[in-house]
Amino acid sequence: MTETVKLTIPSDPKYLCLGRKVLHHLLSTHDVPEDMTQRLILCVDEACSNIIKYSYANCPDLPIEISFSLDEYRFEVKILDYGKQCDSRTIKPRPLKKIEPGGLGTYFINEIMDEVHYCTQREKGTLLTMCKNLKNEVTSSKTN
Amino acid sequence: MNIELESSQKGNGAVTLTIKGEIDMSSSSKVRAHLTDLFKGNQSAIVVDLSDVSYIDSSGIATLVEGLQWSHTSNKKFRLTGLAPMVKDVFEIARLLTVFEVYDSQEEALKGV
Repeated sequence: MTETVKLTIPSDPKYLCLGRKVLHHLLSTHDVPEDMTQRLILCVDEACSNIIKYSYANCPDLPIEISFSLDEYRFEVKILDYGKQCDSRTIKPRPLKKIEPGGLGTYFINEIMDEVHYCTQREKGTLLTMCKNLKNEVTSSKTN
Repeated sequence: MNIELESSQKGNGAVTLTIKGEIDMSSSSKVRAHLTDLFKGNQSAIVVDLSDVSYIDSSGIATLVEGLQWSHTSNKKFRLTGLAPMVKDVFEIARLLTVFEVYDSQEEALKGV
């Protein structure tokens, strides 16, 4: 059975912790190990931070709609904003060889998640869908 | 999310910056401002104690990378200590763990500065 939790936060960085807390609670009740939980939280947090910075240009009172779904071993998160759209083909992580501040958020998302899809085929905003197969993590957690 | 920052002068010309809380987009600017002030001082070394940091995102990592760059230009030592598992994992994913001088404790980090 798919369990879905939805929340909407304002595009103010002070509310990012709410998304982290809700996701932590959801994953901890499904025996997802803490290290993977923290990685998934990081991805959601980075995606929301990017929305605040780029889609909403730091305007603090616009909605970020988040939907977490967990279906046995498949974790899916959808994050919807109504801000400025960009060409998803241009969203690429920077190479890590050069040590410099910034530009790591997209790298974290692509490194951790199995599937990342940006949909801008809509009147306003972007729908980001990220998925992760947690079978190995959850089954090993249950056998330990 | 509140973050607490406390700096403490050490006798050997070093200063420690102890951070408590979560470093994210809402708090990393405070860390950056604090580090900026410390680099303006005349200490020979800055040790950042992350023992009580339970979460760090890319903006927090970027702030620490800036500190590292400032340490190169100012010829000061810049060391990190007390990385919790989550924080260490983020450094590892970013392949930055070997780029910084990382120590298990403040005492170790303060040796030879």
